Amino acid sequence: MESVRSDSRVEDLSNGVVSDCSLRRQKLIIDTDPGIDDSITILMAFQTLEVEIIGLTTIYGNVSTEDASRNALLLCEIAGCPDVPVAEGSPEPLKGGRPSIPDFIHGSDGLGNVFLPPPRMKKIEKSAAEFLVDRVSEYPGEVSVLALGPLTNLALAIKMDSSFASKVKRVVILGGAFFASGNVNPAAEANIYGDPEAADIVFTSGANITVVGINITTQVKFTDDDLHELRQSQGRHTRLLTDMCKFYRGWHVKSDGVYGIFLHDPVSFTALVRPDLFTYKNGVARVETQGISVGHTLMDHGIRKWNTSNPWTGYAPISVAWTVDVEQVLTYIKKQLMKP
Amino acid sequence: MVETKRKKIIIDTDPGIDDAMAIFVALQSPEVEVIGITTIYGNVYTTLATRNALHLLEIAGRSDIPVAEGSRVTITKGTKLRIADFVHGADGLGNQNFPPPQGKPIEESAAAFLVAQANLYAGEVTVVALGPLTNIALAVQLEPAFSKNIGQIVVLGGAFAMNGNVNPAAEANVFGDPDAADIVFTSGADVLCVGLNVTHQVVLTDADRDKLAQSNGRFAQYLCKILDVYFSYHHDACNMNGVYLHDPTAMLAAVVPSLFTYTEGVVRVQTSGITKGLTVLDNRKKRFDEVTGWTDKPTVKVAVAVDAPEVVKLVMQRLTDP
Repeated sequence: MESVRSDSRVEDLSNGVVSDCSLRRQKLIIDTDPGIDDSITILMAFQTLEVEIIGLTTIYGNVSTEDASRNALLLCEIAGCPDVPVAEGSPEPLKGGRPSIPDFIHGSDGLGNVFLPPPRMKKIEKSAAEFLVDRVSEYPGEVSVLALGPLTNLALAIKMDSSFASKVKRVVILGGAFFASGNVNPAAEANIYGDPEAADIVFTSGANITVVGINITTQVKFTDDDLHELRQSQGRHTRLLTDMCKFYRGWHVKSDGVYGIFLHDPVSFTALVRPDLFTYKNGVARVETQGISVGHTLMDHGIRKWNTSNPWTGYAPISVAWTVDVEQVLTYIKKQLMKP
Repeated sequence: MVETKRKKIIIDTDPGIDDAMAIFVALQSPEVEVIGITTIYGNVYTTLATRNALHLLEIAGRSDIPVAEGSRVTITKGTKLRIADFVHGADGLGNQNFPPPQGKPIEESAAAFLVAQANLYAGEVTVVALGPLTNIALAVQLEPAFSKNIGQIVVLGGAFAMNGNVNPAAEANVFGDPDAADIVFTSGADVLCVGLNVTHQVVLTDADRDKLAQSNGRFAQYLCKILDVYFSYHHDACNMNGVYLHDPTAMLAAVVPSLFTYTEGVVRVQTSGITKGLTVLDNRKKRFDEVTGWTDKPTVKVAVAVDAPEVVKLVMQRLTDP
């Protein structure tokens, strides 16, 4: 029974349309912990012609890594691209220890307690870090990575292959809070807090990095009206996504007094495909790995000449999203999601 | 009768060129009565801070004001202190090599003096803290009632939602003794914190200095001499034709509070790691899911805006007054 429901659901959700997963351009690996806003992003990315999703790698965060893999496989199937490889990532941060999972935000299934049937496909044998290293070596300078969870897999890839940072085309990271309050505590944002050591390795790796922090993403919201509009639309996945969003929205009301949802992950994806909708500042960014501010992201703004060397000295700068064209980003995200 | 209405002020200071300006501004302000100066390391070592405080009071003709020497080490007994001689000169006062002062500090330590004055005038004394917060934290530890007895503590320190001035994370005064700063911010006292985010808006320009030089201000000629080094530092490090009025701005937050607006929230200080000295404010806009280091701690006031032109105008006015 369960599997029959599964088939019909996936069939129904994909509208019977088989999308062409091969004719796309920018090669993209999404490192993700789906996650409701991850799901929005992944389904949106599959509908974006400018990118070719060559794989998903999974990580703990909104859910455990194991559940992230299950959800990633499901999302590929729902998108009508079941052959996209899913490589499972690390179950824990670099320093070890079981990550705590905020099931009160994304539900116990990570998808707003919609409890989809299990996926038909299986994850690949390779680990996320191996997969990242292999694909990036295979297509040097061509593969972009969108990182939507803690940065453990990327840090492992950087440690595994010293040429990874120079060969990856671009890494767009959802993480951090720059000169703004965090969302785990006043100092730290959840993805960076999830693995601060990994984040510091990635930020200082020399790769071509754009970071989109919650100082940017919390400016872009779906209000209740937006969610209603999506639900009424002909969007291919909008019914499922708005179902998922009910739980997520409930938490936003309690936690932030926001009647709607923040679009953290979709905004980061938009920064990848429509970088023109943002402005950026370049500077060395580091992550605190100890004390009360563990997970704090701190960028050298570059206004002052320092008298002595400091922990920011000598590292390659990264690009930090500074402002966002809220209206245009919202319009873009809606347009993508409302595609039939 | 007029005397009794003046706000009693103790200046905790590490003079320092902008400290000297702040002290002179206070002495020229009818709103306040300076009842003592306590000294601390920071711009200079504590012993030199004491010497400079005595010297400045002699220049001002106010040797009646007691000077109490403060701690020479941080609250965790740290001795690897960072002295800002490249900002203020090796003598702290623009390399003028002034003769030693005649006066001496009182026997009491800074912390003991702070506790005694707060007891004596419960609720009436404002401490204006212009250096690292070791003395204030020691006073909190020495006398549990200090945080209640002290009227207000105006702190020049921290950098809220912006880079520091020692390194990208930390402002110099908080960096000087992060543990002490965390003790003071969470002590429950009425604390008003004036950080770099505010003081960086208040700039004394080259033109202002020229005006000061041409005035008959009581301290104008003296200040113009010591300001040279401070102007050069700002020119080299910050590429600006002017100087930040950190200490005078904090002083005016005590003298004319209406020039500032502030927010209220819990402030904690990072005491280790690469961001040691980072000040993090919980602005209380978000309800966090878990208990955090900021949960259930007393709040402080954090200055968020300043009428900068008015602050500069007041500083100039008081320093050009004969």
